[in-house]
Amino acid sequence: MQKAIKINKDEWNRLLIKLSDAGERLYAPIRHNGVFDYELIDTESIGEIVYNEAKPASPLKIFFLPIRLNVTGGGKTPGRIIIIGAPACDIEGLKLLDAIYIDEKYTDESYLSRRQNAIIIGAPCHKTAENCHCTTYGVNPWPGDGCDISLSSTGEDIILTTMSEKGNGFMNEIKSLVDSTEPEAGDMETLKRLQEASAAEIADKNDGLPGKEETGKLVQAAESSFWKEHSSKCVSCGACAAICPTCTCFLLIDRPGFEKIKQQDTCQYPAFERVAGGEDPLKELSVRFHNRYMCKFVWKPERFGVLACTGCGRCIDACIAGISKNEVIREMT
Amino acid sequence: MKKQTKEVKGKGLYEVLKAEVDEIIDESPLIKTFVMTPEEPFKFNTGEFIELTLDGLGEAPFTPSSSPFVTEKLEVTIMKTGYITSKFHDLKSGAILGIRGPFGRGYPVDRFIGKEILIVGGGCGLAPIRSLLFTLIEMKDQIEKVVLLYGSKTPTDCIYKPMFAKLNSIDKFETYRSADRPDGTEWDESIGLVTILLDQPMVDMDNSIAVVCGPPVMMKFATLRLLELGFSDDDIFLSMEKNMSCGLGKCGHCMMGEFFVCKDGPVFTYAEIKHSPEIWK
Repeated sequence: MQKAIKINKDEWNRLLIKLSDAGERLYAPIRHNGVFDYELIDTESIGEIVYNEAKPASPLKIFFLPIRLNVTGGGKTPGRIIIIGAPACDIEGLKLLDAIYIDEKYTDESYLSRRQNAIIIGAPCHKTAENCHCTTYGVNPWPGDGCDISLSSTGEDIILTTMSEKGNGFMNEIKSLVDSTEPEAGDMETLKRLQEASAAEIADKNDGLPGKEETGKLVQAAESSFWKEHSSKCVSCGACAAICPTCTCFLLIDRPGFEKIKQQDTCQYPAFERVAGGEDPLKELSVRFHNRYMCKFVWKPERFGVLACTGCGRCIDACIAGISKNEVIREMT
Repeated sequence: MKKQTKEVKGKGLYEVLKAEVDEIIDESPLIKTFVMTPEEPFKFNTGEFIELTLDGLGEAPFTPSSSPFVTEKLEVTIMKTGYITSKFHDLKSGAILGIRGPFGRGYPVDRFIGKEILIVGGGCGLAPIRSLLFTLIEMKDQIEKVVLLYGSKTPTDCIYKPMFAKLNSIDKFETYRSADRPDGTEWDESIGLVTILLDQPMVDMDNSIAVVCGPPVMMKFATLRLLELGFSDDDIFLSMEKNMSCGLGKCGHCMMGEFFVCKDGPVFTYAEIKHSPEIWK
């Protein structure tokens, strides 16, 4: 059963200092030059945490799939981390990561240990960003299952709601360290209105953008000439995949002593699928470009039954060629 | 988070089992077989593959060419075709290699029981087939017939040369070879692409299955010919060679449509993958 508590903001900040001083690793979005992203917070930065705005610059996957990791011996995490302010789009994306990395046959210890050791404090989006489109794919801009606690700031207070068993346990830890009250009905109604307004705003600005099933059909049906035209400006930099909350591909690199290094990789890089004999199914730029859309909207949903694009819009923000995935999809209709 | 329903095979996914190279056999100018002794007995099913590591330099996927019934030794046949395979070719006896695996889904030999089996191989694609042949020899009382058709570029490029006479001496086994072109060496077999050996089915079409393994272009035309002969999509078994890297269905390098070739394959029926993109590349 969900439990909610209200903590005065100053008291909350004191709690975070207490946790930080006790050696807990706390990550939360901090703003620099208008952009906010996760940082390891300390006494100095606790007051600077950005609450309930749209997604941080980096996707949540960075905590579970480090860009480069030595996996010899399992690559397990050194211990618990607390992630504050994860947006719903990223939390939804973890379902695909879990399906790939915690499968029945081969569980990746480095991933599993990071998932088990993380307390994810999700945050409803009371503000939206230019390219947010989660609602198009059925994701609300507030966390559902998949996080441990949901956090909303009213300005003066922080309201925490438990979302999982692990969240219940953490809430009990918090309650022993800080004064809290039960939130009033009015607080909850105000927060509900804020997040629903975000959902309405996102739906409104993405009016006419096809939903997940229709997008899958369109992506399959579009001719190769369409992909050639729309990929012509792509420079294969891979930024779209690097910042995507659901792109998980990697390269294994060998080091002396039979060590294996796992490093983030993407199908958008040339030679990703090339074999020694020279054959390369993704040799052409337009085929690589198309591959990413097929992976997101056809193959991964078919295979794992979960979303592989959660509408965060970061790929649009990040594209140095100015390619908008949503504009490409609108062009198909 | 998804709950585990089976024993978690977590630790060791990226760790190797060391193996010492005992012998290196020159099969053809470009192909060598490495006979290794793993530091522990190594079990695999025919058609499953391993990742073979050259310490500090890299690893590559190979399907063992030896018998799955022998666990003390492991043989891998490697064609020199790229960076890491060239490095393997430079090795001498005594070298220590690393093995990860076995990975994937091999040949579903239970489905071959009671059948006539037509095998079409090309080039180094005979390596996985040799392991399959060792298996079929063990189960020859349960199968009707095995016909092996093998093509190489030239007679000199034909690998496992002593194997063919041995197979022909075994009841129920027959082999036919072709070379794309003659090279002046003695050759009593056919000249032409391996598909010329497929003029006649040579098996009872009402009770047979086909296995194909070789370079992509050969697999494509062999499969098309088998379909013409009347094999159903579900009775053609293809061993797909993609850029299998992690072997665990995670890294994405071998994806073929929704399939991870390393985990869902490398052996597929044509029916399973015929709608996947770029299967012959």
